[in-house]
Amino acid sequence: MNADADIRLRVAEIQRFCMHDGPGLRTVVFLKGCPLRCAWCHNPEMQNTDKELLFVRKKCIRCGACMCCPRSVHAFDSGHVIERSKCTLCGKCAENCPSSALQICGNDMRVREILDIIKKDAAFYGKSGGVTLSGGEPLAQSGTVSLLRACKEQGISTAVETCGYVDRQCLLQAIPYTDLFLWDIKDTDDDRHIEYTGVSNRLILENLAEADRLGAKTRLRCILVNGVNTDKKHYESVAGLYASLNSCDGADVLPYHAYGGSKYELLGLADCSDMNMIPSEEQINEFRDLLSARCPSRK
Amino acid sequence: MEFASVNGYKRPVRLCEETRRFAHESLSHRYGLMTRETPAVILDGIEGFDEMTPVQKYDAAIRKICEDSPVRVCRGELVSGSATLGLAIVHQLPATYGGTPVFPGISHLTADFAGVITEGIDGIRARAEAALIKFRGTDREEFAQSCINCLDSFDIWHQRYLDELLRLGLTDNYNNLCRVPHKPAASFYEAVQSIWFTFAFLRLCGNWPGIGRLDKMLYPFYRKETESGALTPEKAREILAHFFIKGCEWICGGDYGSGDAQHYQNLVISGTDENGTDVTNDVTYLILDIIEELGISDFPTTVRLNRDSDEKLLRRVAEVIRYGGGILAVYGEETVISGMIKAGYPISEARKFANDGCWEVQVPGKTYFIYCPYDFLQLLQKNTLKSYDGSVCFDSFDELYDAYLSDIKALLDRLLDGILRDNMAECRNGEWIWQKNTPCTAISLFERDCIGKGCSYLEGGPVYNVISPHIGGLADTVNSLYAMKKMVFDDKKVTFRELTEILADNWENSEALRQWALNRYEYYGNDNDEADLICRRLLSDFADMCFDMNGKSGYSFFGGVSTFGRQLEWSPHRLACASGRKRGEVLAANASPTPGTDRNGATAMIRSYCKNDLSKLPVGAALDIKLLPSCTRGEEGLEALVSLLRGFVSLGGFFMQPDVADAEILRRAQERPEDYQNLSVRVSGWNARFVTLNREWQDMVIKQNECGCGY
Repeated sequence: MNADADIRLRVAEIQRFCMHDGPGLRTVVFLKGCPLRCAWCHNPEMQNTDKELLFVRKKCIRCGACMCCPRSVHAFDSGHVIERSKCTLCGKCAENCPSSALQICGNDMRVREILDIIKKDAAFYGKSGGVTLSGGEPLAQSGTVSLLRACKEQGISTAVETCGYVDRQCLLQAIPYTDLFLWDIKDTDDDRHIEYTGVSNRLILENLAEADRLGAKTRLRCILVNGVNTDKKHYESVAGLYASLNSCDGADVLPYHAYGGSKYELLGLADCSDMNMIPSEEQINEFRDLLSARCPSRK
Repeated sequence: MEFASVNGYKRPVRLCEETRRFAHESLSHRYGLMTRETPAVILDGIEGFDEMTPVQKYDAAIRKICEDSPVRVCRGELVSGSATLGLAIVHQLPATYGGTPVFPGISHLTADFAGVITEGIDGIRARAEAALIKFRGTDREEFAQSCINCLDSFDIWHQRYLDELLRLGLTDNYNNLCRVPHKPAASFYEAVQSIWFTFAFLRLCGNWPGIGRLDKMLYPFYRKETESGALTPEKAREILAHFFIKGCEWICGGDYGSGDAQHYQNLVISGTDENGTDVTNDVTYLILDIIEELGISDFPTTVRLNRDSDEKLLRRVAEVIRYGGGILAVYGEETVISGMIKAGYPISEARKFANDGCWEVQVPGKTYFIYCPYDFLQLLQKNTLKSYDGSVCFDSFDELYDAYLSDIKALLDRLLDGILRDNMAECRNGEWIWQKNTPCTAISLFERDCIGKGCSYLEGGPVYNVISPHIGGLADTVNSLYAMKKMVFDDKKVTFRELTEILADNWENSEALRQWALNRYEYYGNDNDEADLICRRLLSDFADMCFDMNGKSGYSFFGGVSTFGRQLEWSPHRLACASGRKRGEVLAANASPTPGTDRNGATAMIRSYCKNDLSKLPVGAALDIKLLPSCTRGEEGLEALVSLLRGFVSLGGFFMQPDVADAEILRRAQERPEDYQNLSVRVSGWNARFVTLNREWQDMVIKQNECGCGY
């Protein structure tokens, strides 16, 4: 713990009282930076490893407190205009913004600081709850293993939500301190995987096989995006993948939703959410039924 | 027949069709509306009424009620006895003279129903007769005689029911009412009938008692008979369901302000007994079954949980909570009991605790209780900060805080002066003697030790006499103090004088600073030690001031925290707060955070609340938690609820009322009330059927659901 305590991680957000990110009540630590660029990403502010300036337009009261910026990034014309190319992310504007319309996403926190927050809800974790590291891709940061180890030393159950596209060494180091991997399976078709996430799924599937071989407990998390992976072949492949694993304990369907859309605006990007990507009730049920039949719990 | 559920889950069906029909009928106001036809009995014809003493008038009124009130036996009912006079529903003794009611009703107590089923009315009569002999020739004789008179009247009322049951040919009901409540109950069925009949009598006379620990009282009968095979769990469930259904007989529908189902008829289940042994039993689960199936909002039920409570119980409680309605609340009994011991109760007495029919704890059947609600935000704004008129200035936070404490002290001093003036007669050899008060013999019969002392419930008769000053406006007060501390004294963003002017101006032209106050500080309810410790300090100082008043009158003073919905009346009159609130904006309920300020979820809220030394508030502090139906679905949702309950108890929580509700559903219910007749929501110490709240109350409930408070 002592060696780990001062290791820093770049945290995007910490959310308490979560119940859909692993068993029981959990605290979720969202870490910044992801190797994938999924077309349907709902946490775009967590893609970039660097800190970023977020602007919540509807909270802005045009008070001008942000004019304290030494590089004149902020201007008020017909609206609040941000010249992001000039921004050095010094954070001065966010510090002065009274309504928190301006925020810096990405806080370099020491393991012990993060742990202090996680421990706050220890009374609520019970037998099943604990901490979930998410993001972004938590295993993209080398300090993640330190955080996991520190949690386990405190008797806190750990889960990692991963896209699987991670350095093998980092994964292997994390396995002993991770009670459950929530392993994203975006698409079993590699061409489409490349097209929609920017990378091949080969490393992801190899890592999964290796983690399974080492006895790591996993649960598959399958995003379902209309017009992308709503075909029978993909469903069958997921079931086949599940059958090939020994320590995997079920597969969940995560239907695409458009709630992440407004988050693009925070970064000054166009909302790229696509209502057409939302799967229909029938599509969801078909996939869900197939997974619950073919990927039974092995407890 | 459907009983409302907010989470989309269908409530299970275990009770027979006839019982379900009866429940539906009762929830559809059938019996409540009947009482409108007979609001009260009329005393005008009684000869010499004007010349009677108050106690004689009271006895005459009870007699008249027992002789003349309509006797009602409902189709299919398993337990009999009904409170059929309409004025009782508005807390009056339902007897008028010259067109006006003569006496008020009594509430905020739990009557000694455990005594009723073990010693019976005959036992009470024997004690009253002994008292009459003992007090003959003293100023207590009149009360002792009144006890006998009331029991005589009770007998008349009881006989009228027997006659009616016989006339209707309802032999089973007749047989079951023959012996009880006069004799000790001999069976489960008799015990339920005995408690109900006594309860109905007290309500008939305009009183609103709580029930106490129903599962603990009934289990010895249940066990004996289920073991012998004389009773099945199914039959017991049916009988018990009729107790709950009969409890809805005052539901009238319509627009009632705070709802039509609020008659302080709370009951308590589970927890430990006098020896510290867990009493959770089959009857506990039967009660949960009934609440789960019928969603009946009367009786609000509180579960005594402790750190060792069975996982099975917690899951069952969570399952019932999930349907919504806010019927179940929980006590963390270790905190409650340790608080009562600190307050001077012997441990065996503390372990008996139930409540006053709302959530304030007391030893049932032995306690006089009243609470005095205060708006501490008003006190801060008006007294300490002189309504922002600029006449006061503080140089440090401690100076401000000390001035506020002095104002609290002055408030409590005035309370004590009033009690000494209005209630106490004298102190004789260290024993306080009460002044004569309004007669209330009916309720006094069921409160130890009124008969033994020859004094009524209001005149020092009970074993324990408790007055509880309640802090209202807690979160808004704490947030105001915290914001002043930060902005003026720590961060020096503004001087005290400037802030006073800004608040006097209701934040006009100071929007940037207001946004700062709103967004840049984490207030009570977010697990921020800095804010929470101000709350802890305030409650602790307040509790000590209350304890300091003990021994100075015949009462014990125990602090509590509540608003019971009063924040709705207060909010238009409160000035702007340093925390960014503008005049008229929403205020916090009970010991809960201000709606909209709690950003870190239910666990953070519970932790903030539990940082208070709640055991210094032996009456209690209520935390309201609103959960979205979607948060509670599936195994995940169930586990989350169980974890919240478990965490609440282990962190030392006192009382929590979780409610599963959805602002969207509530809004639909406003539009189409006819479709949501049975939808109940937790308001504050009770749960109201949503459609019977008036518009303002409905809007408040929706606002609290929308603003978070625990999502």
